[in-house]
Amino acid sequence: MKKDTSHKIKLGIFISFGIALFIVGIYFIGEKQQLFRGTFHLSGVFRDVAGLQAGNNVRLSGINVGTVENINLVSDTSVRVEILVDENTRKFIKKDAVASIGSEGLMGNKIIIINPGTGGKMEIENNDIVQTIQPINMDDILISLKTSIDNTSNITSNLSKITGSVQSGKGTLGRLLTDKSLGQTFDSTFINLKESSAGLKMLVDKAKKSWLLWGF
Amino acid sequence: MDNFKYVKDIANMEKIVLQQSQNINQEAATIPEEFSEIPSDSVFRRFFLEVSSLTFFTFRFFKEVFKPPYEFNELMKQAFLIGYKSLPLVGITAFIVGLVLTIESRPTLANFGAESWLPAMVAISIIREMGPAITALIFAGKVGSGIGAELASMNVTEQIDAMQVSGTNPFKYLVVTRVLSATLMLPLLVIFADAIGMMGSFVGVNLKGTTSAHLFSSQVFQVLKFGDLFPAVIKTFFFGFAIGIIGCYKGYNSNKGTEGVGKAANSAVVFASLMVFLIDMVAVQITSLFQN
Repeated sequence: MKKDTSHKIKLGIFISFGIALFIVGIYFIGEKQQLFRGTFHLSGVFRDVAGLQAGNNVRLSGINVGTVENINLVSDTSVRVEILVDENTRKFIKKDAVASIGSEGLMGNKIIIINPGTGGKMEIENNDIVQTIQPINMDDILISLKTSIDNTSNITSNLSKITGSVQSGKGTLGRLLTDKSLGQTFDSTFINLKESSAGLKMLVDKAKKSWLLWGF
Repeated sequence: MDNFKYVKDIANMEKIVLQQSQNINQEAATIPEEFSEIPSDSVFRRFFLEVSSLTFFTFRFFKEVFKPPYEFNELMKQAFLIGYKSLPLVGITAFIVGLVLTIESRPTLANFGAESWLPAMVAISIIREMGPAITALIFAGKVGSGIGAELASMNVTEQIDAMQVSGTNPFKYLVVTRVLSATLMLPLLVIFADAIGMMGSFVGVNLKGTTSAHLFSSQVFQVLKFGDLFPAVIKTFFFGFAIGIIGCYKGYNSNKGTEGVGKAANSAVVFASLMVFLIDMVAVQITSLFQN
């Protein structure tokens, strides 16, 4: 009988611990999904959500403060995104807050990034609609990147033509670098210049002493 | 009164089916060697007889489970033996699975520079699949064979018949309590296995590099959703029920003789493990249907 009781106690401990573990697990998972905390709703209209899904995170200053609750297609050019945000962060989000869609990393999940807005404005309210910025599409980036690459290749081909002709002595710059006679001409020009400047200096010195220029 | 008659009918039908299947066994034994091609037909017949007999057995379980008197003391005893006594085995297995899964996944994730995803990835695979499946298989090995062998040896030593004669309902006392406790204890064991498996994974993560327990848990709970936890726990009720009912069926209907005990224990484990995988496949399909 005594053994029976101890078995029952052990069974009781086993069952209570199991259920407690389950409840703790549910609590932690639920806490992340903001189910057991005060939350408020916001929504924004985007033209393209770039693969955002319900359940994705919402970030304010880099901190996860909520999740995407629902995504609906309102018309052919607008998608309404409803988000659930932690009530404690409401005082930091102002009426002129702006929401944009970013991603967690190069390959990561999409996230909503809230820019809190300017300091002096009123706090945002429950069910408010926030302004949005269209997300930068990866395809758009690639298209503009392609234009830049095309331009760069034009520039480099021109540059290579120039350096090629310089090296082969074509044009003024090429002759300057490669023609030896031009160098000698320059040399003699500089010598002449030097001599004439010395003559000029002598002339000026003499002129300074001349009575004709007194008073200057 | 009508209700009782219906139960009796089911019991009678089950007896007839069993008798037929035994007759077929005898027929198979008496067929001379030159007709050895013929039994392929009887294999099919035996299979379908087995299926119908198991179905009757399951119906009978559902009839008896709601009918008083309830054998609470026996239920508690079986829950202790089936649940509590399996915890060490399940715990060690789960710990090793968590540890090994982490160590094995690390090189692949490191190739992508995504080692920080290790806790999240292991958590999802343990909670969704490895925890329930491994625990159910260990459970089938330990409990399914135990129930099969115990009931079969009771059958061989005619204790079940003795019980019937003394006025106790052996089905209620032996089968209902065992199936119920297997159904209720396996989900609890799986929750323990999930938790212990995560501890194993934590140790595995910390074998190379350091991750604090706090960071580990926040990375784990970052990715887990209710959609991962609930379907995984709900399917374990079905695993437990299948293991219990198959163990009991094989033991309760074993052939008389020492050989029958071994056969009952063996086929209980094999059939229960197979059923676990079949249920798992169906559960995954249903889960993915609701998630998309």
